Amino acid sequence: MSAQTETTSPPRHGWLRVMAIGRNPRNTVVRILILVAGCFVVFKFIMLPLRVTGISMEPTYKDRSINFLNRLAYLTHEPRRGDVVSIRYAGPHVVLMKRIVGLPGETIEFIHGIVFINGSPLAEPYKKNPSDWTLPPEVIGPDEYFVVGDNRDMPAHDHVFGRVERARILGKVLL
Amino acid sequence: MKIFWRLVLCAAVISLSVWLWTVFFPAPEKVIRHRLAKLAEDVSFDSDQGSLSRLAGGESVAGFFSTNVEITINVPGQEQATFASRAEITQAALGAREKIKSLSVKFPDADVTLAPDKLSAVADVTVDAAVSGERDAIVQELKISFQKTEDGWLITRLETVRPLR
Repeated sequence: MSAQTETTSPPRHGWLRVMAIGRNPRNTVVRILILVAGCFVVFKFIMLPLRVTGISMEPTYKDRSINFLNRLAYLTHEPRRGDVVSIRYAGPHVVLMKRIVGLPGETIEFIHGIVFINGSPLAEPYKKNPSDWTLPPEVIGPDEYFVVGDNRDMPAHDHVFGRVERARILGKVLL
Repeated sequence: MKIFWRLVLCAAVISLSVWLWTVFFPAPEKVIRHRLAKLAEDVSFDSDQGSLSRLAGGESVAGFFSTNVEITINVPGQEQATFASRAEITQAALGAREKIKSLSVKFPDADVTLAPDKLSAVADVTVDAAVSGERDAIVQELKISFQKTEDGWLITRLETVRPLR
């Protein structure tokens, strides 16, 4: 009787191949597919990339900066004062980026650049530049929010702001 | 194995048939989207275009609209513009080509809703227009009503929608 003592050692791969496709190419392909599918779902439906164009949110958000829109932000609670949100036009590809300053049912007024909510001045630490906007009081509807940009040293007629329906708010800006 | 390949062949034939059907008999929504894309193309013009092609482009824009069209456009900081005939649209398109060097119009979002009778439709459209010499693009939402006619889907009404009031 003789016993076989020969053992088979695993095949040795070159370090370049291991670095490029791993020890098991099949597992690497599966990992890549999962990663691609994950990125597609996240960046298409949950965390939409945004490119800021325009100066209406300066100095908080610079023109041509990159950001993300969190579409799940308002699943558990409604938008809050101070949130920077994205507002859709006919669809999600081009959106407005504005800050919520007024909530449903409130009365908002601008006097010499200061926002008054139900007659009380609103502290706005994000607003760095002086403003002289004076606008008459406006009652915000039950399903509406009042949104405005942070850059209010530009004339009010050049700035897009006002009441927006809740259904048009797509989500909260992430950063 | 033979059955497997037969099933694959069956699935391929069915897919090809469905695709051919959608190519030869497209859904009205698809036709309207295609029409909007063509409208954006015809409204746009480049500084390199010759005067003849600019003239032809300006005149072709009117063909997208019905003869009794109603157009109301409100751009922030500009006066309201209204047009009520194809002649007025042609005049406006040619006027724009004289005043502006280049205009690039895109409709990045178009939500088409077909009426139950399938003879009319409403499209909510985002228009993104880049005008030469302007730093920022003009972005507006439009509500466009279409009517099915012998000449295809024609625009009967076009108005701007303000997302913020």
